[in-house]
Parts: sequence; structure tokens; C-alpha cells
Amino acid sequence: MLLPEVTQVVARGKPTGAGSSRAGWAFFFPFLVVYLLFVLYPVIQAVRMGFYDHDLLTIDRRNWVGLANYKRMLWGDGLGWDMLTMWPWRLAGLLALIPVAQSYRTRRMSLAPAVAAGLGLVVVFGGLMGIHPGVDGRWSDSQFWPSFGNTLIFVVYSTPVIVGVGLALALALNQPDRWVSVLRTVFFAPYVLSVAVLTLIWAFMLSPQLGLVGEVWASLGLERVSWLTDPDLAMPAIVLVTLWWTVGFNIVLFLAGLQDIDQSQYEAASLDGANRWQTFRHITIPGLRRTTLLVVVLQVIASFQIFGQVYIMTKGGPNGATRVSIQHIYESAFRDYELGYASAMSVFLFVVMVAISAMQFQFMKGDEQ
Amino acid sequence: MTTETVLSDSVGKPPRRRQFRRWSFLSFLGVAAVIWVMPLIWMLSLSLSDNDALQKNTTSLVPIEPTFENFTTLFESGRTPGWMWNSIVVTVVTTALTLILSAMAGYAFARVPFRGKRIAFPLVLAGLMVPKEAMFIPLFLIFANVDQHNTYQALILPRVAAPLGVFIMTQFFAAIPGEIEEAAVIDGANRWTVFWRIMLPMSVPALTALGIFTFVLTWNDFLWPLVSATNPDNFTITTGLASRQGNFAQANSLGDLMAQGVFASAPLLILFFIFQRQVVRGISLGSGGK
Repeated sequence: MLLPEVTQVVARGKPTGAGSSRAGWAFFFPFLVVYLLFVLYPVIQAVRMGFYDHDLLTIDRRNWVGLANYKRMLWGDGLGWDMLTMWPWRLAGLLALIPVAQSYRTRRMSLAPAVAAGLGLVVVFGGLMGIHPGVDGRWSDSQFWPSFGNTLIFVVYSTPVIVGVGLALALALNQPDRWVSVLRTVFFAPYVLSVAVLTLIWAFMLSPQLGLVGEVWASLGLERVSWLTDPDLAMPAIVLVTLWWTVGFNIVLFLAGLQDIDQSQYEAASLDGANRWQTFRHITIPGLRRTTLLVVVLQVIASFQIFGQVYIMTKGGPNGATRVSIQHIYESAFRDYELGYASAMSVFLFVVMVAISAMQFQFMKGDEQ
Repeated sequence: MTTETVLSDSVGKPPRRRQFRRWSFLSFLGVAAVIWVMPLIWMLSLSLSDNDALQKNTTSLVPIEPTFENFTTLFESGRTPGWMWNSIVVTVVTTALTLILSAMAGYAFARVPFRGKRIAFPLVLAGLMVPKEAMFIPLFLIFANVDQHNTYQALILPRVAAPLGVFIMTQFFAAIPGEIEEAAVIDGANRWTVFWRIMLPMSVPALTALGIFTFVLTWNDFLWPLVSATNPDNFTITTGLASRQGNFAQANSLGDLMAQGVFASAPLLILFFIFQRQVVRGISLGSGGK
């Protein structure tokens, strides 16, 4: 049952007397208490704390500082704007205008969200990303933007890789064969490991002297590479480790999506003499549209929250190359004792994630109609 | 699902060629699967190897000088069994509470008309958008203010408030035909009896899927235990194991370390192999797929 239908069922019926209403609240109340205390209240509290200077060591005292935390986080001294700063990334961001325009044209998106999305893209990629410290300038928090940038790099690298490999493996594993079902189990198994086991295995796997990867490399006559201590290779290595860990989740979702495609379509195509590629292009791909969007949304949201892998394996190194937003928030709070500032950064991350998932869901909603 | 899906174009071809294609396809997948499972086998192999022998060679996929010593050391000394116990308590209680609260709230939303429901339901759905990992600072303060860190309740309570669980259970109860419940009500059963005796037993499949999903996520939770349980006696197996990594000096007890890894992942791997189908179902349910 999809969300709109469930909402309809929930809205059905009026309270039949005080007794029924009381029973409903009695069932709902226990959840409501923990939900208000530990999900909603923290959000409000984070917003509030973002306006204070709040030291972990003197936890009872705090000073109202207004927007100072946000200014420190986002701004700096002697900043300038120029057209070419980070231009490949900005150009790629602006290219996202094309699918937005396309979805408006094909009526999958209505005018207001399309304009909002378009304006957002132009402002962020065309405008804001051009801001950078000038010759004598610097960011107030030299770590904030780099760690956010690393988070984005992880999102941008990992999403296509983990979604793409997940889709390919799901297509290959979508067979009723007994052996294939064993293989499905194998590909899924790493997903149930905890992040600490993952890092235990892979920190040693990737170690140039101790690990299997180095051994294979050497046997191929290649030079042993120190993956996790090379600034250019550390992030790709983290992406590959995450692929091994979580691709099973996407495989499961894609397999479920493949099961949902109407089998008679394949039979009809086969009768019409369609070849494998045509069948794939005209039945499988459109049939998986909704699933793919769902997987991408979940993948992006999960990737934004990356922390454990890098925190344990590289501590954010080498030279800050894998330091991500959650680590910066964590260290600001518990190493530098700045709870107020850390809260402001949590709010920023929260807003970015909600904005991105809102945009993606807009595409999805349009798709269902 | 039928074989036609993948082999649709091979129908008209001679059987031998079709067989060949099928086998080459399967062996290709098989090689990929072997690569996939290799790191796990390697961990197991090292955990069963002699620590001194590992000083010379760490790249064997079969144990070198096989021994259970690493596992006996793990049980005889150190904190690992205690961490394991912490993980078991936290995970089992969290899962049980999540199931009860989600089922009750889901039943209320799907089945019981009550005042304020139309506001309450969207309010719960809004919680789906709150990224847990981004909200640990205020959560830390809440528990710090009442001096409750390094306790089981601090690790359990924040995880029990799962809007996703409520959504899944609402979805499930909404799909049950009304007649079943009405018949019981006519027989004079009140809401509680209907819920406990009829609705809960009917929802065992959904509860199993949700329960296993919650179990895996709670067992593997890292950031919140790292923030809240800072006293080494209160670590979970996940944060405890993480605390032992991070420098390669420990490579001289690699066998011990890998034994801990095997020990920490064994409960989940065993659970997964038993309840594979429910795990898979839990994921489809949990992500709003179906």
C-alpha cells in the first residue's frame, strides 16, 4: 500500500463517542511520548542551541550569540567571487536544470516546485559556489567547507557506483535458480556486519604489507599501494569498501522492483520478436523507474550521514582528505567542547538533506501519477 | 519470476549453446561471489591462526597453525564478553520496545478513530525526514542534563522512537479486512483484547520483518553509543571493537583482533542465515518499496 492510500485509511471514520477516542489515544500515547522527547524535541533544541555559545565544560551556562555560529560556519574574511572557482562541479550542478525543465515540460513536475528547484540550482551552483577566500582572505572555520565538500564528494562518487553495481547484480541474480539464490545470500551477507567489523577487515585488507589486496597487486607485478594513506586514493577506497558493505541492500530493493514488473509484458515482447536489448530498454528500465528513484534517494540520504567508516579507518586523514561533516560536528562538540557551534552545523546538514530529499521526492511523486 | 526474463532471446537457439551461455554466465557470477566472500573467509582464517605465525604471513585463506587460542583468550580476559552482553541487552530491549510501540500506534492509526488523528499521523510521518545521525548533539544534552549517560536506557530510548516502524505497522493493519475485527467486537471483546488476541497474532510476519530490521540496525549502531557510552565498561561490541582499531601497532595480535571481529559478527550472520527471507522482506517494507 502506498502512502496516499494509507493516509486515506487513517483519515477514514469519525470518533464514535468519547470511549473510542480515549482508546485511540491510549494506543498512540506511549509512542508519542518517546517520539516527542527523542525525535521532535531534539530538532527544536538543535535550532535553539545553534544561537548560543554553549561550552560542554560549563554545561549550565550559555550565552546568546544570535547568528554568530552560522556566520562563523559559512563565512570568512576577505572573501571574493569569481566565475571559474570549482567550475567543473558548478557546471555539472547547472546541468541538473535540464532534467528539471524536462520534468516540467512532461508535466511530471508542476510550475512552482520546478521554478523553486531551478532557482535553487542557479543560486547555489551559479552564485554561491563562486565565493571563495581572496588573496589574504580565509574562512572563519577552515574545516567546515572542506569537510562538507568531502561529504559531497563521497555522495557524488558512491551513489552512481553503489546504485549501478546494485542494479547490475540484481539483473544478473534475478533468476529462480537454486545456485543463484546462494549467490544472492553471498552478496547480501556483508550488509549485516557492523561498521567496526567492516573497518577491521578492510583496514587490514588494504594494508600494503599485510592485506590480500596488496598481495594480489604484487602478484600482478604492480607496485603495492597504500590505499588509506594516499590523499588521492583514500576516498575512492572508502567508496569501494562501502560498496562491498551496502550493495546488498540495493540488490534487495532492485530485485523487489523487478518482481513487480508485469511478466506478461516480457511474454508479449518475446512474441513480437524483440531482442534482449530492446526488452531491457523498453520494459525493464521503465518498469524500474520508481524503484531506482527510491534507491537513489535512500543512497543519497545514507551517504550524507557517512561517519563510521572514515572515522575508524582514516580518522579523516590523510591530510583531511576523508574528513566528513559528521566527524567535524562530532569533534567540534566533544573535542573542542563547542556544543552550540556543533548544533548550528547539525541544523545546516539537516536543512541540506531535507532539501535534497524533498527535491527527489518531487520527482517521485510526479512519477506515480 | 521465470527464466524468460533473462534468457528471453535464447528460446529458439539450440540447447547446447543455451547451456553453454548459462554456465559461462553462472561461473562469471560465481567468481564475483567468491571475491565478495573472500574478506570474510580471510577474517575467519586469521582468527583461527596462531598469533606468532601471523607475524610472518597474513595472506593465507586457510588458518596457519590452526588454533582456537584466540577465542579462548577472548573469553578469559578483557572486556569483549561484557561488550557483547551490553549489545545483547540494548538490542533485544530496543527491538522489543520498538515492536510494541509501533504495533500499538499503528493499530490506533489504522483501526481506531480518535480525535486529532489527522494531525498526529502527518506529524509522525514528518519524523521520517529527521536524519538520526545529524541530531546527536541535542540528544546528548538531554541525557547529560539528567545525568543518564553510560546507561542502558540512554542507548535504548532514542532508538525506540521509530516513525518508520509506526508507518509499516499502520500500512499492515490498514490492509486487514474490517470484518475480522467487527466479529470480535460483536462477541463483546474490547479494543485491548482485539489488539492482543487477534491483531497482534495476525501481524507476526510484519513484526518479524520489522524486528529483524531493527535488530540489525541497533546492533550496528555506532555514532550514538560512541557519544553516549564513553566509559569502557559500557561500550557496545561495535564501539568496543572500534576502540581497539586505529593503529597498526596492534598488528602483532592480529589473530586476537580478528577473533573479536568474528565473535562480534557471528550473532548477526547466524540470525541472517536463519531469517534470510524476513530480512529481505524487512528491507522492502522498511524503505517504503512495497
